[in-house]
Amino acid sequence: MNRRAFLSWGTAGMVSLSSAVAVSMGAVARFLMPSVFYEPPQTFKIGKPGDYAFGVPTFLVDEKIFVFHDRDRGFSVASAVCTHLGCTVAHFQSDQKFHCPCHGSVFAADGSVVHGPAPKPLNWFEVILARDGQLQVDKDKIVPATYRLMV
Amino acid sequence: MNLIREIWQSIVRRDPLSTDKGKSELVFLNVWLHIHPAKVKKENLKFKHTYYLGFITFFLFVILVTTGIALMCYYRPYPAQAYQDMKDLQFAVFLGPFLRGMHRWAAHGMVVCVFLHMCRVFYTGSYKKPRQFNWVVGVVLLLLTLGLSFTGYLLPWDQLAFWAITVGTNIGSYAPLVGGQIRELLLGGHTVGEAALLRFYVLHVAVLPSMVILFTVVHFWRIRKDGGLSRPVWKLKAKKPEGLVTIGGTPEVAQLQAVPASTDKTYGLMEVVTGKPIFETITPEEEEDVAFSYPFAFFREGVALMATVTGIMAISLFFHAPLEELANPAKTPNPAKAPWYFLGLQELVSHSALLGGVVAPAVMVLALLAIPYFDRNPSRRPKDRKLAIWLFTIFVVVNLVLIVIGTYFRGPGWALVPPWVHVVAGAE
Repeated sequence: MNRRAFLSWGTAGMVSLSSAVAVSMGAVARFLMPSVFYEPPQTFKIGKPGDYAFGVPTFLVDEKIFVFHDRDRGFSVASAVCTHLGCTVAHFQSDQKFHCPCHGSVFAADGSVVHGPAPKPLNWFEVILARDGQLQVDKDKIVPATYRLMV
Repeated sequence: MNLIREIWQSIVRRDPLSTDKGKSELVFLNVWLHIHPAKVKKENLKFKHTYYLGFITFFLFVILVTTGIALMCYYRPYPAQAYQDMKDLQFAVFLGPFLRGMHRWAAHGMVVCVFLHMCRVFYTGSYKKPRQFNWVVGVVLLLLTLGLSFTGYLLPWDQLAFWAITVGTNIGSYAPLVGGQIRELLLGGHTVGEAALLRFYVLHVAVLPSMVILFTVVHFWRIRKDGGLSRPVWKLKAKKPEGLVTIGGTPEVAQLQAVPASTDKTYGLMEVVTGKPIFETITPEEEEDVAFSYPFAFFREGVALMATVTGIMAISLFFHAPLEELANPAKTPNPAKAPWYFLGLQELVSHSALLGGVVAPAVMVLALLAIPYFDRNPSRRPKDRKLAIWLFTIFVVVNLVLIVIGTYFRGPGWALVPPWVHVVAGAE
């Protein structure tokens, strides 16, 4: 084998080897990314509009959302997950604000950050009236804080 | 009787330990002991040189593997069973609380000892040439130790575990570009759930321990290959002594000195090589300052091992590992805190998630890794390294202060509350 053949075969070999390794690493990464998530669905129904009182927001524990029902402006749904590190915020009636227990972030009534390390306002989720007359929330659809559903 | 002797001699082939040859052979004919040299420098055996922190760390790891395997017999990594198994370990399993306590205190102890070991190596300048790379291996082992501790933190599946990991993994998701994906990869989902528990379990009992073992082997091997432990600081002379014995070196680099042969030793020339050795060599005058590893080094290691095991056992008798109520994703405890060694990080994160949670730790790790290559000062004497010692001390103190603030001075809502003030959590 001469020098030219050695170098070209060697290069071809190294290229195929490194591409094989790269592809395998990609496959490993993809393998570790689950194809199916056994997690609660992002879209769910939360009952009839009449179930929710006016004024005081209702906190749904499992879904981690606040459901607001305003007499004049209708329904809106806020996330209870702090945008800082994922702790569950509480809504204080006394000052109409959301308080995070972990690092002291405070969010105003419209979800905007008043104080603390949270980098983003709280999310508001789309809420619609489903065919069966129940309210339906979609956590994948983020809406502006001004979004309202009139029923 | 002859048969018994024959069997014994087929297992142990060394000469009797009363002879020097037997003492040497005990070390280098034994696969487990031959990581030691047959002889060690007497000064390196001094407690005040190393405080045996490397050994203690290793022994704590041995305790962790042993008790960990025992705990695995009673633990199922599924949310529905995990907490129940913890309760069983606490109340039903014979010696359950004791073993779990040992595992937990040894884990905390290992984090502490790895850190102290790193401080010792820094302050004695032992990361300097030719030991630079072993420092890097050590930093990797520090990170693996933190990873082991962090993954183990989730397994009890109580409130403490759940929220510490929720907060901890969310810190990681602030890393630019890949942060969110890394979190998803780690958790196997979007929230801390059953997939996350299983993955943390796999990391905790298989992946990370194997990596620790691999890196520990390299770490120990390098100690030998770099010429054994570094010389104690108090033995260092102000000026570098002339002339390491170098065979074949140019005369101005080193000189081969004539040494009178001692009468009770046999010397043999094994091989002639050229060039300077990469490791520290023992000069002929130092040759007399060495002692056989058996019994001098082994005895001290044995004492360190027993002290470590008894210490952990004693602590576990009096302090049990805590177990809070079952993990409840809907109810965040107030305040929710990460494991204590990450509370400095959490304190930084409470000011800025990106700067404190990603930039600061990344810079810290990179700085630690770079120390042996960045520090060009060849001297190991504290007098010559005032700046380095100051900088490292500031690094240590800042870390400790942040951890103390995060642990003792942060109350509900992460408000600054001194530890002597009692706050009723949940009060509006």
